[in-house]
Amino acid sequence: MKYFRFIWKNVFRKKSRAFLTLASIVLVLVLIVVLSSLLEAMEYDTGRTKGAANVVVQHATGLGNFMPLAYRQKIEQIPGVVAVAPQIWFGGIYIDERPQNFFGQLSTDPDVWAIVHDDYTIPGDQLKAWQSERDSFIAGRQLIDRYGWKIGDRIQLKGTYISMNLDLELRGVYTGPDESNIFFHNKYLENSFVGRLSQTGIFYLRTEAPERVPAICDAINRMFENSDAPVKAMPEKQFMLQFTEMMGNVKLLVRSIALTVLFTVVLIVANTMAMSARERVTQIAVIRAMGFRRRQVLVLVLSEAIVLALLGGVAGAAGSFPFTWGLIWLMKKTPVAMFAYNIKISGATLITAFAASVAIGVLAGFVPAIRSARISIVDGLRQVA
Amino acid sequence: MGIPLQYNLRNLVVRKVSTGMTVLGIALVVTVFLLVMSLAEGVRKTLATAVSPLNVIVLRVGAQSDVQSYVSRDQDEAIRTLDGLARGADGQPLVSPELVVLINIPKRDGKRTNVIVRGVEPVAFTIRGDSVRLVEGRMFQTGTSEAIVSTRERQRFPSMTIGGVLKAGSERWTVVGVFDAAGSPYDSEVWADLHNVQDQAHRTTGFSSVVARASDSGARDRLVAAVQGDLCIKLEAIPENDYFSKQMGTAKPIEFLAYFVAIIMAVGASFGAMNTMYAQVSARTREIATLRALGFSRAIVLVSFVLESVALGLAGGLLGAAIALVVVRLFLTAPTGTSNFATFAEILFNFQLTPALVASGVVFSLAMGLFGGLFPAARAARLKIINVLREA
Repeated sequence: MKYFRFIWKNVFRKKSRAFLTLASIVLVLVLIVVLSSLLEAMEYDTGRTKGAANVVVQHATGLGNFMPLAYRQKIEQIPGVVAVAPQIWFGGIYIDERPQNFFGQLSTDPDVWAIVHDDYTIPGDQLKAWQSERDSFIAGRQLIDRYGWKIGDRIQLKGTYISMNLDLELRGVYTGPDESNIFFHNKYLENSFVGRLSQTGIFYLRTEAPERVPAICDAINRMFENSDAPVKAMPEKQFMLQFTEMMGNVKLLVRSIALTVLFTVVLIVANTMAMSARERVTQIAVIRAMGFRRRQVLVLVLSEAIVLALLGGVAGAAGSFPFTWGLIWLMKKTPVAMFAYNIKISGATLITAFAASVAIGVLAGFVPAIRSARISIVDGLRQVA
Repeated sequence: MGIPLQYNLRNLVVRKVSTGMTVLGIALVVTVFLLVMSLAEGVRKTLATAVSPLNVIVLRVGAQSDVQSYVSRDQDEAIRTLDGLARGADGQPLVSPELVVLINIPKRDGKRTNVIVRGVEPVAFTIRGDSVRLVEGRMFQTGTSEAIVSTRERQRFPSMTIGGVLKAGSERWTVVGVFDAAGSPYDSEVWADLHNVQDQAHRTTGFSSVVARASDSGARDRLVAAVQGDLCIKLEAIPENDYFSKQMGTAKPIEFLAYFVAIIMAVGASFGAMNTMYAQVSARTREIATLRALGFSRAIVLVSFVLESVALGLAGGLLGAAIALVVVRLFLTAPTGTSNFATFAEILFNFQLTPALVASGVVFSLAMGLFGGLFPAARAARLKIINVLREA
């Protein structure tokens, strides 16, 4: 520690160089933080704990196919199942087709909604009001902020794959992990839509405990195995993962980008350190003549690189917050808007960024440090810089 | 008279390690940019590959794709009575009712994805002309649960070999042939017999869409207008090419990622170049002063150093483009897929590293060099001759 001042002075020996190197480290760390937050959002990993006891049942062929509503009673009888809500993804158009006006629209059974979605909260009177009016809906807090809806407002949704339009009145606002959806009565859909009257897209159900989920999924799958419409039951997380898996090898792509980015910044920082070490051959020869050992010189130069990288790391982590907010704002205008709401900077991501900056420092400082340690005193002193 | 460019180039060569690292840094930025952009370009190219400009696809009003659409038998009959339809050798209008079903099946890596199974009648092949043709095996037989798959899909799904069985829920199709759809979106689909798909999907009351071939481009526009105006049909018609280009939004998030990463990295890499150039200027102060004393003006010194930095950028750009080219040609030859947001199925495509993209990558690297060299060059130009020459 007593050499810290020496290291610090050397880091900022050339102000403009130190600033430029820091700036590139900061930018790269911002990128790393943003990319790993993106990955986490795609893996649906952002701090959801309660969803572990939930199961989603869909048609075995794929999501585009519907299942008989009559399955509900059979599923409800399976031991361990607390409540079952049939839900249909309406996918309607609100205002216009632009992606920023897209949000999840789900029909559900309001009587069991609060049980199956027990990680959501809604004021009791609002829940009652919603349950009692067939043409009403509730919306997540985020949507309320986005559109400025007030209780009693009406919205119109134009159907896309379900050929009907909805006219709904806002009766409540819920808060919870995913506040980007609205929920409305499935009776409203059933009564107005002929043909799929007795069918549903998915069953969303709550089980007694996460440990019971695998057995219940098996029981449901076996129950309808030989019917006209076989089903696939799975934990909620796995259901959500389907959507990101469908985006193909995006995760691999993002990972390889992050690695390349890291490698690039190591090159840049290593180059800076090498230049700085080359210019200081005389200085190093002098301290060696004063009695510093080779190993100490190595540690000193290496520490410089690490100090520089850590400074960049701290600034980069701090700087990544506004960048992430900007990215979320931009992403809301694309078809992947639904992932935008899941993006959060987690503690794990910040630790990754911190580790990355240490790695940058060590990797970039290693070669210049060894070279500096190898300088022979006589040659170093003879050289006129 | 300018300072010979050779002076700068030789200087770049003399400090091999430093130049090499800076060039490699810029090259990697260009590589990342090009690879991600060629992914987006692949999606675009697939959706822009025209099948036939005379084809019109008829969907339910409001449906964004045939997956969301429904057309009844009566509506299909009504479409057949419209004017301007091309006719086949048998004198029948070229109208193809089609039913699409999404099936969820595993890929080679074990993960599952959605694939479109399109039920068609033989007329569908006439309407697509030569752009959908059988390359291996045989055509499926009408009334059986046989199917043909595309060449791209065969590389991506283990079950898609001749004799293989596609299983999804209770639905089963046996693969008997392989087709090639000339890089169009149909290369992401499985084609089977219309009536069999209707039966297996329990959707016998109608179709997803109706594709019709117009006799000429004027007739196509009249056909589109006729469907829109017909109160009895109550459907929406769009030219098939427009239908696919409307789905271009699929490439947007990838392009966005490419620009986002590339711009941040580019700023970082030009800071690196700037460092290198600053170090050069301070190591060569006496040289610069000598040049100035010889009569080269400040402006010429400035241009000379900017050029040196641009050369650094150009070397990086060329190297980056070369790396990207090698990677795309050697390692990324297999088709890859992403979710098409309009159909909810996977769309398959190949990486497309077009000459235009390569050019944009090189321009990008020149910009990095220019930006990185400007300030150090300005410092070089401002050096005071007397002070520098007096030193040491």
